[in-house]
Amino acid sequence: MPRPASVRRDKLIKDVVTYVLLAIFLLLFIFPIYWTFITSIKIAADTFTSKFLPFLQFKPTLKGWIGQLEAAENFKALLNSTIIGVASAALATLLGSMAGYALARFRFRRVRNIDIISWFLGLRIMPPIALALPIYALMLSLRLLDTHLSVILIHAAFFLPYAVLVSRDAFRSIPIEIEESALVDGCSRFQIFFRIALPLIAPALAAIFILTFAFSWNEFLFAFVLTDRIAVTMPVYIAGTVTTVGVLFDALSVRAMLAIIPPVILGLLVQRYIVSGLTMGAVKG
Amino acid sequence: MRHERVKYLFLLPAVIYILALTIFPLLTALANSFTDIRFGTTKATFVGLRNYIAPFSDYRFHNSLYVTLLLTAIAVPIELGLGMLLAILVNRDIRGRSIVRSILLVPLFVSPIAFALMGQVIFYEGGGGINGILKDIGLHPIKWRSDPLVAKFTVVLSDVWMWTPFAFLITLAGLQAVPKDLIEAARVDGASESQIFRRVVLPIVTPVLLTILFFRVVDTLRLFEVPFTLLGGGGPGIATETLTVYIYKIGFRGFFFGQASALSFIYLAFVAVIVSVLFQAVRRFYA
Repeated sequence: MPRPASVRRDKLIKDVVTYVLLAIFLLLFIFPIYWTFITSIKIAADTFTSKFLPFLQFKPTLKGWIGQLEAAENFKALLNSTIIGVASAALATLLGSMAGYALARFRFRRVRNIDIISWFLGLRIMPPIALALPIYALMLSLRLLDTHLSVILIHAAFFLPYAVLVSRDAFRSIPIEIEESALVDGCSRFQIFFRIALPLIAPALAAIFILTFAFSWNEFLFAFVLTDRIAVTMPVYIAGTVTTVGVLFDALSVRAMLAIIPPVILGLLVQRYIVSGLTMGAVKG
Repeated sequence: MRHERVKYLFLLPAVIYILALTIFPLLTALANSFTDIRFGTTKATFVGLRNYIAPFSDYRFHNSLYVTLLLTAIAVPIELGLGMLLAILVNRDIRGRSIVRSILLVPLFVSPIAFALMGQVIFYEGGGGINGILKDIGLHPIKWRSDPLVAKFTVVLSDVWMWTPFAFLITLAGLQAVPKDLIEAARVDGASESQIFRRVVLPIVTPVLLTILFFRVVDTLRLFEVPFTLLGGGGPGIATETLTVYIYKIGFRGFFFGQASALSFIYLAFVAVIVSVLFQAVRRFYA
């Protein structure tokens, strides 16, 4: 269909507006991270200037990075975050995928499936601070304060509903026939679950693990309340440095970057599942 | 089915685990909320509903309620609006869509505490960061963290930076779920672009928007990290003292466990009422 020149000109104008707007927004969204990054490679004397082009305006240095990477405290906090993240993500993924499987493959009668699902979804409404006090008291009485285990247990509980609802969605998208014929061949439900169903949703499972790991890595309130010296995670550690390093912006920026980089890289790896993951399976990506 | 009973073995571990670590502790908190229990003592006297009535005549509680609602009422519409604008732009036939998506994904994985730390640099009032740039181009510096009104704006700005990408990604997924031939058919029938948007696209995307609204409202009502660290415990003064910050201080600085527990339940009830309608909308996706 021939289009008159005015329509083509309209499209050109719209395209230009689109690209210009997108460019502006992207710059705004990149700004905080870019600024933190260049602050991390400035010498201390340059940190209060607004020079923003390395090599051209200021001479970059890796001193801040080397200093921070050599500091044992950073290493400890990163290690703690990794241990707690891996363990809580593993626990949430295991228990979550089992419950997700139950909700995808069986029909519950006394309490209907949709009501069980609503319960998991409804847990998302609960404000964490309402739990922080009783959990603190519980961990105190169990003598678990300032241990990795206390944070692992609560992170797994808190992110478990995500694992349940996202895995349910994944199980529903695979054909049921293979499982049915395995059942006829005499496999038990657990054999079917671990040998057939789980491998079939492996990519979604990896995404659930990675997402819950990232949630745990970034979680602050519980980690802050439950840990003190031994089991401090990266967010708790860097929150504390605000008062100790004050305006040593080069050190502060390196620590911020160290806390940001792992979850961001992981997040980019699971892009395909991000929409489903962040909405607890309500919206498909 | 013969294997009926095994389904409970799959479901119950998760349910029991969550009950043990969330619901049962909440029940002990509920019991505590009717007493004057303080931390470090085991002595507790029953005080009836006092802990539930007292907050309503406390200006700090009024303030934290006001701050929380204000921040939510300002931040969430901005996030939704900006997210939608970005989604509409990216949903056009453009190059580099995946690059835009990837870049906008980054803030979603930045921990709020890491952002608060970045904020120390970016919002530093003496120079460097934004004020340094403002000075260079001859504008007045802004009191990001020391002015009570501007500090609220700083919290909103932080939340908008962290969560607009969420609204963007989910809206984009919603827009891409709108069947292309439906739009084409409307166009052939002579509908204008704005008519197509209002009559065809919007009805399909609305449930998705309500889902975004649900998650964002729930999360902004619990705002904690940026006011707590970047603004030094909800400062200046109590200008950014959200409900979570306030309850934290009562519970963990004052050790008034009974009072803090009661506040938590008032807060829980308050959140539940606000999001109940949105919750129904999200629930429908699981049918």
